[in-house]
Amino acid sequence: RGAAAMAVALRGTRRAAALGFCRGLAEAAGPRSTRQLREAEEAAPVFQYVGKAAKRKDRVFVWGFCYSGALGVPSFVKPDVGWKKPRRIQPTPYRLETEEKISSAACGYGFTLLSSTTTDITKVWGMGLNKDSQLGFQRSRRDRTKGYEYVLEPSPIPLPLEKPQHTRVLQVSCGRAHSLILTDSEGVFTMGNNSYGQCGRKVVEDETYSESHLIHQLKEFDSRVVQVVCGQDHSLFRTEKGAVYACGWGADGQTGLGHYDITSVPTKLRGDIAGVNIIQVSSYGDCCLAVSDEGDVFGWGNSEYLQLASVTETTQVNVPRHLPFKIGKIKEAACGGTGNVVLTEEGNVFVWGYGILGKGPNLIETAVPEMIPPSLFGWSDFNPEIRVAHVRCGLSQFAALTNRGELFVWGKNLRGCLGTGRMEDQYFPWRVTVPGEVVDVACGVDHMVSMVKSFT
Amino acid sequence: LNVAPGRPPRQHVRFLPAPDGGDGGATGLVAARVPVLADHPLVRGPRFRRLKIGAGHRLDVKASGVFVLGIGRGNKLLTDLYNCHLTKVYTVGGLFGKATDDFSDTGKLVEKTTFDHITREKLERILAVIHGTNRKALLMHSNIDMKTQEAYELAVKGLIRPMGKSPPIITAIRCLQFMLPEFQLEIHCLHETQQYLRKIVHEIGLELKSSAVCTQVRRIRDGVFTLDDALLRTQWNLQSIQSAIWDCQLKVKRELEKTLG
Repeated sequence: RGAAAMAVALRGTRRAAALGFCRGLAEAAGPRSTRQLREAEEAAPVFQYVGKAAKRKDRVFVWGFCYSGALGVPSFVKPDVGWKKPRRIQPTPYRLETEEKISSAACGYGFTLLSSTTTDITKVWGMGLNKDSQLGFQRSRRDRTKGYEYVLEPSPIPLPLEKPQHTRVLQVSCGRAHSLILTDSEGVFTMGNNSYGQCGRKVVEDETYSESHLIHQLKEFDSRVVQVVCGQDHSLFRTEKGAVYACGWGADGQTGLGHYDITSVPTKLRGDIAGVNIIQVSSYGDCCLAVSDEGDVFGWGNSEYLQLASVTETTQVNVPRHLPFKIGKIKEAACGGTGNVVLTEEGNVFVWGYGILGKGPNLIETAVPEMIPPSLFGWSDFNPEIRVAHVRCGLSQFAALTNRGELFVWGKNLRGCLGTGRMEDQYFPWRVTVPGEVVDVACGVDHMVSMVKSFT
Repeated sequence: LNVAPGRPPRQHVRFLPAPDGGDGGATGLVAARVPVLADHPLVRGPRFRRLKIGAGHRLDVKASGVFVLGIGRGNKLLTDLYNCHLTKVYTVGGLFGKATDDFSDTGKLVEKTTFDHITREKLERILAVIHGTNRKALLMHSNIDMKTQEAYELAVKGLIRPMGKSPPIITAIRCLQFMLPEFQLEIHCLHETQQYLRKIVHEIGLELKSSAVCTQVRRIRDGVFTLDDALLRTQWNLQSIQSAIWDCQLKVKRELEKTLG
């Protein structure tokens, strides 16, 4: 009976030890055995950070010169805390919180426009300089009769739409002191400075543009307008039928209408693009480029920097001329202040003009397009499918987007507009670290805005 | 090594007395080549008493793969190979769903997460970002002034490489296999440690809003030495070692000439 009792006692202790949490009388607190570890691991709770059907988020990143308010972050100009100093330059991409998904953005000379394809009442937001009402009338909260000269955060722009809950804004574009807004069914709205007729309405002598409520609507084109582009002081409109209209300052021939005067009514361009189906137009300074559906490129406007020197010696071209480049079928073109860039169907990038073109410090000017080696955009034997998908131009900088969503910039780093984190000029394409896949980018004079999709 | 036939002993000329009979008178001296007594094996002793063996780039306990050793005069070649800063290639295996304190699957569990939202496209997107940021780091640590034409030309050719001390840099990364919850990556890197690679796997897990641990780190290439040149455990004998040294002598010489000039 003593043996049976001892056996029961032994069984008891072993059972307690097997249970784990009740330490038996003769068990040391040593390292846990593999089985205990595995059991603890299986019993651990599983955290879920994101569900199976999680969607990628759309974000907007801005960088560049802050004091104009064009970045849309008021704390850069007027810090909300007393000890913080105002930030003059944002050298790396900074996330801008927006209420809606931004589908189109445009950077002007010190101001920015953001637009969304929503059917809500507020479709366009503007920030930055507003001295010529390029952002519409922004009523001041202190004095209801006056407007703001600088808008520090994205503020809605009220558009005089007939059907505000049906019309959608497709695209926005900004020039030096004017802006264009393209809608799908109500034509083009123009606001801002009109001293050269760039808003498409008659020039009024001694008109004050600041604190103006006037937003002009343009509807008389041969067909629906599908793209609007602002040059420095002129505007270009591309219609569905492939025609191009222009109005505004023409002293460099940038209106392409055959004369060097100002035009205040959008007029159709002729010259080498008469009858040609144009699929893309681009301008930012005083030179303009247009791409046809067959892959040809046409140029007009300022040629002081050899932009059109391949066809003519004159420094101003006021009629669109075909540029006979033998570089392949061209898909997209972008015009800067002194340099131009095109993208071919194979995904190669060609630059010409004057300034920092992207092929090292030795190439300052060329009249004939030079190709930028694809290895600078990440192409290698290890990654042969990388291609450049889009090219964009600011006043003195260039941007290229690859099919993997990477953004490469090069050019003059005016007030940190390249976003590389350094203040030096960049002589060859350099990757900008953006936490997401870059879908589109808009370049201005001293700032840039990018639309980005998050990774997961 | 000591049993193998060594160098024959040196010979020298000695004038030895001629083996004459007991003639008395003129003892002639005859020149004869005799082996030097100092070279006699009993005087010299065993030829090899110690061998200097040096190790190349470190490989830690939990990792496996190619490990380069230098013997005797090969140690100087090891220093030269180190100064070439050649890339190493690893296959890294990972497992989603767990996070541990030392980033490997044998560590203490920190957290468990879901991973059913992860797809191969998301993983490749993260890998593309890692590749891009490391490419930028590569250009920045190579100590060349970005404003020169020389920098542009090197960037085009892709020959920019840090030739001095630098933090770990990944020159190429891609996904070899993806079968939830496991995945395998091939990583080409410079100046790294295996624990850094495990940390990269952990960070990939975090970026994908889940967690990951590293199950396997295997070095498949170290500069010019690949898995084919490596000797298995069963081949750790004198003949295989000698033939391996003989086979890679030419490769190493060519690589050193190309990089260091």
